[in-house]
Order: sequence, then structure tokens, then C-alpha cells
Amino acid sequence: MALLADLLQNTLDGIALGATYALLALGFTLIFGVLRRANLAYGPAIMFGAYAATWASQHFHTNLFVLALVVLGATILAGTYVERTCFAPHRAGAAAAAMVASFALWMQIEEIAMLALPKHLYPFPALYEGAPLTLGPFSFRIEALVMVTAAVAICLLLRRLLYSTRFGIAVRAVIDDPRAAALAGINVPRTTALAFAVASAIGGAAGFLVAAGDGQVTPMLGMWSTLKGMLAMMLGGLGSLPGAVAGGLALGLIEAHAHWFLGPQLRDFVAYLLLFALLALRPPWMNTRSES
Amino acid sequence: MMTVRDLVTAYGKIEALKGVSLEVAANSITCLLGPNGAGKTTLMMTIAGVLKPTRGSIRFLDKEISGEAPDAIVRRGIALVPENRLVFPSMSVLENLQAGAYQRKQSINEDLEKIFSRFPRLKERSAQQAGTLSGGEQQMLAVGRALMSRPRLLLMDEPSLGLAPLVVEEIFRTIAELHRDGTTVFLVEQNAHMALQVAQHFFLMEQGRISFSGNPGSLAEDEIIRRAYLGSAR
Amino acid sequence: MDEYALGVLTNIGLFSFVALSAYLLLIAGELSFGQQAFFGVGAYAAGSATAMFGLSLPVGVVIAMALGAAAAALVALPTLRLRGLYFAMATLAAAEMFRILFELIHWQLDVEGELVGPDGTQGFRGIRWMLESGVEPIRFAGIVWLLLVLVLLAFVYIENSKLGATIRALGQDPTLAGALGIDVQRVKLGVVAASGALAALGGALFAHHNTYIEPRNFDIMLGVHSLAYALIGGLGTALGPLLGVLLDIGVLEASRFLQGYRMIVFGGLVALLLIWRPRGILDEKVLHWLRARFS
Repeated sequence: MALLADLLQNTLDGIALGATYALLALGFTLIFGVLRRANLAYGPAIMFGAYAATWASQHFHTNLFVLALVVLGATILAGTYVERTCFAPHRAGAAAAAMVASFALWMQIEEIAMLALPKHLYPFPALYEGAPLTLGPFSFRIEALVMVTAAVAICLLLRRLLYSTRFGIAVRAVIDDPRAAALAGINVPRTTALAFAVASAIGGAAGFLVAAGDGQVTPMLGMWSTLKGMLAMMLGGLGSLPGAVAGGLALGLIEAHAHWFLGPQLRDFVAYLLLFALLALRPPWMNTRSES
Repeated sequence: MMTVRDLVTAYGKIEALKGVSLEVAANSITCLLGPNGAGKTTLMMTIAGVLKPTRGSIRFLDKEISGEAPDAIVRRGIALVPENRLVFPSMSVLENLQAGAYQRKQSINEDLEKIFSRFPRLKERSAQQAGTLSGGEQQMLAVGRALMSRPRLLLMDEPSLGLAPLVVEEIFRTIAELHRDGTTVFLVEQNAHMALQVAQHFFLMEQGRISFSGNPGSLAEDEIIRRAYLGSAR
Repeated sequence: MDEYALGVLTNIGLFSFVALSAYLLLIAGELSFGQQAFFGVGAYAAGSATAMFGLSLPVGVVIAMALGAAAAALVALPTLRLRGLYFAMATLAAAEMFRILFELIHWQLDVEGELVGPDGTQGFRGIRWMLESGVEPIRFAGIVWLLLVLVLLAFVYIENSKLGATIRALGQDPTLAGALGIDVQRVKLGVVAASGALAALGGALFAHHNTYIEPRNFDIMLGVHSLAYALIGGLGTALGPLLGVLLDIGVLEASRFLQGYRMIVFGGLVALLLIWRPRGILDEKVLHWLRARFS
């Protein structure tokens, strides 16, 4: 009975964690979809956004809503910088160059953020400062509930954007076949840049939720977002947007359970082992897209 | 309507178009024949803006358009139905058509109705994913998508490629209808016999250059077909 | 020679090994985010051999290279059919698993009254073979660079041989290579194993230079850095990765006034450089031009 309670609690925690991972994976997948490249500077752009808001919260007294906007704006700014420097100039071929360039900017953006805020930990205004809700043997952190709700809302908004708007048709056309999209009259470079900005915004939202949910910000946010986002993206099948959400949730659930039963190091080990095994075995859902 | 003069397009150091000159008259069906590797697709892609020429000029309705981006070319009124169709496989038939109308800000329902009445099979399958359509249906869809931008000049690259004979007849009937309704068509074809039935003028292209220009009566058909498949150096 | 400069020189040599291992994979057409794992395997293996079992450094290095090749083969065998980002992510996952294993290994032996060996996240102290054998820093730097030159000569030899052409053919167009009768999988396996041995060589020497290693030394940063060095220096020649390492460690680290801004400058320069030269400074075109001019 206690085991069942543990499993259920882990599942709840896993969903909360998975919600953030799903958002990160969505951002990575959107960028991969339109560019066929992995953007290694995605996490650092999010860290830049979170740091910008941290700086703002130190110097001005603002509420969470404004801070959320700062995170979004700063992440989009950093993301656009990355897109213009690493991806726009390298249209076809040169995949390695684009990715390594994005890594170079990862280093650059992280250093800029850390020059402004050099400490290992900064407090961030929390989403909720209070005790978790308890219901029998289960506890729900209110922050986690907010994070899941926000993540669901963002996913629905994205769905609306991609499936019910003219812009969404353009993005999905570019994801399917950039050449055909150009021939249909779609401005591929502009659509790509805008899709990248949307992906940055989603990442920024994830970063805000993590910072406000944890009540703190650390320099590891960049690396963490990149790793978790890419891991979740690959678990769900590279290139598939619904897969990204599934991959994120799955990663969250796996981590929550593995952490409980095996501890933090083995938790990460299990996630990596699972990805490695999936890649080696290549089940059908992982064969979605290849690179240009 | 369109004049191409001394067009040169290169892939790195290799020149695929070595100075192509031709004219497409308004309200005509003009056909471009030639063996594989002659550069016909390269020419189409250059006119459509996907490839950039190194030298030469493309004039459309008295405006120089060479080197413009593909979406600008569509805005000018030229649409290309590419070789291999290139439909958007994960999007529905309807969404594919909507994508073709991307540039049009006003209501497109009228155009959708027109396309659906011209291609009733597309109407039946309008919610179906384009990747699951048959070859002939994908060809119809690719043509429909191009038509959604209301082009003055329709470019078609090998529309009959890989299709069954009955479907090929349907395609050419459609081309003739489009011409009757006022669209100028410039088409690349391997199927010289069918193309010559509908075209008013044709060009032969070999190794990056135009080698012959005339009406379907000006050379014996088997001579044309020989040159179209084998080139004239035989 | 100034001790700091000697240290920089030695580090350039050490990291060139892992940069060369990333380079080898790049010219075979694959991106690897995981070479740091084999660097780590080499470090731990050689460190254990000399500090825990009293073997000499040359023996330790040989053991390290063998284990590095074996580890790489272990990673490559299940993933031979993967390409591009899929392969890169598999190497990343594998490398992180190795790093976590380094964090979990607690294996210490009593050596002359002292506990020596890897101690999980606390690292592995006391790899003192150099000091105990009286090898001064300048001699060690000499050893590192001698080995590096030997490796470079091996590369030059291979690049001009049929094997080199095969590897580059694989990198350009694997489908075509397969159609030409090249056993793509076997070549790829060989290349990965060789890259593992190469990285392990660097790791073995690194462990003895630093006398202390910890799992954090072998994280993703090292892996992506090695990849960057190889790509920036240029994929036309084995001197390319060396150039990349030189540019980062040599020029920028050594120039002290850039201290806090090193990554800002380097990162920006790399991104811009890659726009202009996507295959590095000494890329294939430059090499062709140089060969034509000087032959």
C-alpha cells in the first residue's frame, strides 16, 4: 500500500517535472523542424532570460507578471541573436558548423550572464510561498500545479498557432519541405526566424516557470535546459511536436520514479541508458525526421 | 510574356545552364523538351527563384525578375508545379491548397471551390493527409496548389512523370483547359508525344543550351522525339 | 622556461589528442559529443595502473589506450547504423553514463600505508608517478609533444594512403561509399575505436600531469570543446585540430588581459569564423591550394 502511494506521488511529481521538460522539448523540436539543426544555445538563451529577470527583480520592485515578460523578451532577444549568427547564414550543408557555432554562442551567452550575476545562486521571486496541499498521503506543491497548468495552456496556444492560423500553415509547410514552401510563395527565411522566436518564447516560459517554481536561479540552468530538452526531444522521436510533449512527460516520470528508487545519480543514468537503448533499437516512433 | 536571355546558372564551378535564351508568348502553351541532364529542371528552378543565375536576364511582363526570391516570384504571378510534385506530406489536401494561397490576403474560398470543381477527387479527400494520396492525386494537388496563387504563368516540370497513361491523359486535358481559361503554361516534359498535342510552340534543350525552337509541325515528330530523348549528336 | 608557459604548452598538447579524436570522426562524417568519456577512461585507467598497481607510465598508457578503444567500440557497436544528430545524441548519452560511472566508482587500495584510488565525486588523488620517477615538467612536456608528433605523422601517413581516402569517402557520401564496395560499418567501427584510443592517450597523460582527476573533468564541456577545436582549426589536415586548441588555450588563455572575457571573445569569433569558413581555417580547399603551390 505504501508502495502504491509512493508510485502515485512520484507520478504526480513526474508530471510536474515533465511539464517543464515538455516545453523545453517543444522549443528544440520546433527549431529542429524548421532548420533541421540542433540549437545548442537554446538553454543558454533561456538562462539569459532568467538572469535578466533576476537582475530586474534586484534593481526594481516588480511583480511576477512583469518578470515573466522580461524573461520572455530577453530569451527571444538572445534566441534571435543566435539565429542570425549561427543558423541564418548556414542555409544548406554545413550542419556541423551551425551546431558548433551555436555551442560557441552558448559559451558566450553564459559568460555574459555570469559577468552580470557572478554568484552560484540567486533568489527569484517564488510562484507561491506556502506549504504544499496535502490530500491523504499525497502532497501537491502549488507551484507544481501552476507549472502544469501553464504548460498545458502554452501547448494549447501553440497548437492553435500552428493549426488554425496562416502563420501556422507556413511553419508546418517549411517543416515538411522548405523548397516546396518557397515555391508556394512562403517567405522561408522570415517564417524560420519567426518560428525560432516562438520556440525561444516557449523556452523562456519554461525558464520562468522553473525559476519561479524553485524560487531560485543558478548558472546550471543553461546546461540543464539544453540537456533535458534534447533528451526529451529524442525520447519522443526527433522532429515530432506531439512526440516532444510525450517525450518530456516520459522523461519527467522516469526521473521521478528513478530518483525515488535509485537516487539522483542513477536517476540520470537511467534516463541516458533509456535514450541510448532507444537509439540503438530504433523503434518506429523514433524514425520521424532526418537532417538536411 | 516572358523572355529569357543568355541565362547562366552554375552549381559551384559546373555550369548547368550555359546561356539559355527563349520566349514564352502570352496565352500559349509552350513546351520544353530535352534529354535528362539537359538542364530543364535547373531552368525552371532558376525562373522560380530557387536557384540564382550567375548571368543573364529573365523578363516577365516587362520587368526584370532574375535573382528575386521565390516568394517574390510568386507575387509577380508565376507559379511552379515542381518535378516530383513536392506536396506537403503531413498536411491535409485542404491545408496544402491553403499554403499555395499564402500570399493572398483576401478570401480564398472562391478559389478553393474552383479547384475542387476542377479536381473533384481532391474535394472528396480534402481532409486526407497529402502523403497518403496516389501519384496522380498528388499531381492534381500540386497543380491546384500552384493555381491558388492565381498565376498568370504556370510552370510545370514533368507533370506526367511516373503516372499511369490514363492519368497522364487527364493531366494534359487539364493543361488544355487551363490554357482555354486564360493561363499561360510553360511546361517541361519527357512525354514529347503528349506535349506536342497541346503545345503551340516548343523548344529543345541539350547540355544547357537551346538547340531548336519551332511549332509542332516544323520538324517531323519522330525527329523531335529522337532529339528529345537522345540529343542531336547521334 | 616560465612554469606557466610550460603548463600552457603541455595543456595544448594534451587537449590536442582529444581534439584529434573528434577530428577523426568528423572526417569520417560523424559528429561525436562523447569523446570526453574515452579521455576519462584513459585517465582513470592509467592513473590506476601507476598509482594503485605500481606500473610504469608507458605500460599505463598502453593499458589506457586499449581500454579507450574497447570503451569506444562498446559505444559504437549498437549505434553503427545511426547517423547525424541521432549518432551524436547516442554518444552524448553514453558519455554521460561513463561520467556517472566515474562518480560511482569507489575503489581504493592500500599503497604503502595510504589509500589510493578513485573515490567517486571526490576524485582520484595521488597520481604521482611523474614526481616519484623524477620526471620534471619540461621533460614531461617533451614526452607529450613527442607522442603528439608521432600521432600527427601517423595521421599524415594515413591521410595519403588508401585508408585515408576510404575514411574521407565515407565522410563525403556513405551511400556512395557503400555502393563502391566499402564496408561502411567496419570502417566506422575502426574509426571510432581508434578515436577512443587516441582520446585515452590524452587522458592518460592528463591524469599524470595534473596528479588529480575528478569526474567533472570529463563532462560535456570537454566533448563539445574538442569538437569545436577540430572544426575551427579545419578539417583538411590533422594540424587543424592542433590549430584550434592553440587558438583557444594558447592565445586566449595565455593572454591575461582577456581573463574574464575569454569566452565572450572566443565564442563570438568562432561563430563568425564558421560563417566564413564552415569547415575550419585549414579546410580541404586550403589544403588543396597549399599542395598545389608547393608541389
